[in-house]
Amino acid sequence: MVLLQLDPFLNELTSMFERSTETGSVWVTLKRSTLKSKAVRNKMATAGEAIEYRCLIRATNGKKTISTSVGAKDHQRFQASYATILKAHMTSLKKRERKEKKKSAEADKREGTSKRPKKS
Amino acid sequence: MVYITSWDEFVERSVQLFRADPDATRYVMKYRHCDGKLVLKVTDNRECLKYKTDQAQEAKKMEKLNNIFFTLMARGPEVDLSEVTGKEQTDAQPTKRGRGRKQ
Repeated sequence: MVLLQLDPFLNELTSMFERSTETGSVWVTLKRSTLKSKAVRNKMATAGEAIEYRCLIRATNGKKTISTSVGAKDHQRFQASYATILKAHMTSLKKRERKEKKKSAEADKREGTSKRPKKS
Repeated sequence: MVYITSWDEFVERSVQLFRADPDATRYVMKYRHCDGKLVLKVTDNRECLKYKTDQAQEAKKMEKLNNIFFTLMARGPEVDLSEVTGKEQTDAQPTKRGRGRKQ
């Protein structure tokens, strides 16, 4: 498990998406964590210190795993970059027809004609 | 596996799940480009909620959900989600202004 800084993590995530276009999946996991053991956490709680929580982000393509930890200060910036990466790579999802009239019209046409697509 | 059909229900239940046990709840996203499928999972190791889709418009909704989770996890479960509601308010205001101008 490779723990990276924010920007290298984003770069690696991008290349992971690019590599898995033909085959394979990309998993991204988000979890809250303090990155400290239970004993340390209990000590901090009894001492009255504020426990700093971070968001742990892990990404894998089934073979290689990378991870990074995002704090409250960085999460806005990370969020923006992460959204950009996802938008850029999730291109194989279907786009819906906005007009429902077109859908019903197409369905009528398909029922009337054969199943071969016509090139207009 | 429990696949939820309504997006809003999925969002509401997963936020509830997170608020109930913030240390154990995790949010997983799996994307397969070759199949064109996206699956989201939220679990606290006791209960599991899943949502799957192949629509591009759902990806935009998922981005908003990502923002919600980032805010919840980085700042803590007591956060008001005012970011999300703040955005909704800013979306609502220009439409109201538009109606005013037309009148």
